[in-house]
Amino acid sequence: MPEVKKLSDGIFEVIKDKKQLATKNLDPGKAVYGEKLIPVQETEYRTWDPRRSKLGAMVLKKFNISLKENSKVLYLGAASGTTVSHVSDIVSEGAVYAVEFAPRSMRDLIRLASRRKNIHPILADAGKPDSYSHLVEPVDLIFQDVAQPNQAEIAARNAIRFLKRDGYLLLSIKARSIDTAANPKEVFKAEVKKLEQAFEPGFEILNAKDLKPYHEDHLGVLAKLR
Amino acid sequence: MKINTWFGTLETDIVGEILESRLLSKDIRKLALHSLSLRESRSNLPPEGFDLKAAAIKSGFAESPAEYYFLLHEVTLEAAKLQVSSAITPDQRIIQAVEALDDVNETTNALFERLSEWYGGYFPESGLGGEDLALFIVKYGSRENVSSEDPLYSKARDSMGAKLEPADEALIKDFAGSVLSLYERRQQIEAYIENSMEQVAPNLKHIAGPMLGARLISLAGSLEKLAEFPSSTIQVIGASKALFKHLRARAPSPKHGIIYSHPLVNTAPWWLRGKVARAVASKLSLAARIDFYSGEKDPSLIEKLEAKVLQIRTLNPRPPQKKQENGAKLKKRRRK
Repeated sequence: MPEVKKLSDGIFEVIKDKKQLATKNLDPGKAVYGEKLIPVQETEYRTWDPRRSKLGAMVLKKFNISLKENSKVLYLGAASGTTVSHVSDIVSEGAVYAVEFAPRSMRDLIRLASRRKNIHPILADAGKPDSYSHLVEPVDLIFQDVAQPNQAEIAARNAIRFLKRDGYLLLSIKARSIDTAANPKEVFKAEVKKLEQAFEPGFEILNAKDLKPYHEDHLGVLAKLR
Repeated sequence: MKINTWFGTLETDIVGEILESRLLSKDIRKLALHSLSLRESRSNLPPEGFDLKAAAIKSGFAESPAEYYFLLHEVTLEAAKLQVSSAITPDQRIIQAVEALDDVNETTNALFERLSEWYGGYFPESGLGGEDLALFIVKYGSRENVSSEDPLYSKARDSMGAKLEPADEALIKDFAGSVLSLYERRQQIEAYIENSMEQVAPNLKHIAGPMLGARLISLAGSLEKLAEFPSSTIQVIGASKALFKHLRARAPSPKHGIIYSHPLVNTAPWWLRGKVARAVASKLSLAARIDFYSGEKDPSLIEKLEAKVLQIRTLNPRPPQKKQENGAKLKKRRRK
C-alpha cells in the first residue's frame, strides 16, 4: 500500500518505490499526459512531474501556493494543459480560467477542458486582459508562465484587473526569453525590481527562488499586490 | 455605468448596484458568439475587481454559482472551439505542406540510400541514382530481365553483381515501388505549394520563389508574423544558432539564413553576399507586407531588387584586400 502524505490542500506526496508529488485525480481512470495513476484505497492520485511543470517545481521548492478546494485561479500561458490539469485537481470545487494564445495548444486544452468542468479555456493574448475581462471574475491566484519578454508587465496588468486584494501572484520567469545574451542572475534581479516598482501599486515579493534542478534559468516568484 | 459581460449588458450606479440588465438567453452558441464579439471591445469593460458571478446571480441570469459555472464552462469551451476551427488559414496550410515536404524528403533520402545499398549488391555497375534507380528496379527487378534495347543491357549482362533470388526480387521491387511513390508525393506537394503560394503570397513567391517563400512563412509561423518582422530578421531567419552565438559570445553575425538559397544570394561573390542578402531581405519583407495587407501583385519589386543587386555589384567589383586577411585570421581564432 503506497503511503500518502498531505503537503497542503489538494497536494500530496505519494510514496510508492520513491517519493512522488501528486494530486487527487478529478477525472478518475484517465491520465492527461502519460503521468502515472496511483490508486490508494478509494482515491486515485496522479503523479506530478516537477520537471514538466514549473508550478510543480515551485511546490517542491516550498513556495506556499495556498490553494483551497474552492479557489479561483487565473492561469496565463496554459499551453496544452499539463499543469492546468493538476490545478484543476487541486481546486476541485473552484474554477481555473486557462488563457492560452496558440490555437495549436488550445486544441489539446479544449480536449482537457471538455472532461473537467472547472476549466474555462480562453484563447486570448495574456498581454491584453481587456479582451477577456468580460469572462473572468476576481481570482485568488494568478499563475503565469508565458515566457514573454514583457512578462512583468503582463503580470501587473492582469493582477490589477483580476487579483483579489488578498490574492497571490505566482510567476515563472524564464531568463532566456527576456534576454538571451545576459546573465540570468542579472535578468532575474531586473525583473524582480520591475515587479516591485514599475507600476502602481506594485507587488510585494514574498518569495523568489531559482527552480533548479527542475528547470534551468527559471526563477519562481510569489508576490502579492501592495 | 454600462458594463458588458458574457451574459449580457448591465447598467449600474456609482456603488455598483445593478439598476438595469439586458440578459441574453441561455443559448450556448449565441452566448459564445457574443463573448467573441466582446474581445475587441474597448468600452464598457467591467471595472477592476468586478464580480461577474455575483452580478449574474443578482441580475437573475444564473440561479446559483453552480449554474453560473456550468454555463460559463460551456460558453468558453464553445468559443474556444470556434476560434480554433477558424485558425487554420491558407498560410497555415502552406506551413503544413512545407513541413510534410521536409519529412518526405528526409524519408526519401533514407529509403533511397537503403535501396541503393541493397540493389548495389546485385547490379553495382548500373550507375543510376535517385528516381531513375527506383524506376529501373520496378521495371526489371533482377538485371537478368533487362531487355536488349535498354542502354544498360551490356552492363547488366556482364555485371559482377550476385544473382537475385525470386523472393529477394519481389521484396526489393516492392520496396523500390514505395520509394518511387514517395518521389511522386514530393512532386505533388511541391505543386500544391507552388499553387497555394500564388494565391496566398504572390509577391513573396515572385521574389523568393515558391519554396523559399513557403519556408519563410513556415519559419516565421504565419504570413502575418513574417510581414511584421523587420527585414533584418528576415535576413537571418534560419540562422538562429549563429545569431545567438553572435549575441552571446564574440562570434561574427550571420549574413544570411535560409535566404541563402535565393539565387541572387548564393551566386553573389563572397564579399557581396552580406550586402546582397540585405537587399534581398528588404524586398522580401516588402513583398510579405504587400501580400498580407493588400494582396495585389507588384511586378516592379523584382525589377527594383535586380537593379539594386546590379548596383551593389558595380560598386564593389573587387574583394576588399586588407579586410580579408584580418577577417580570415579572426574567423580562425573564433572557431576554436
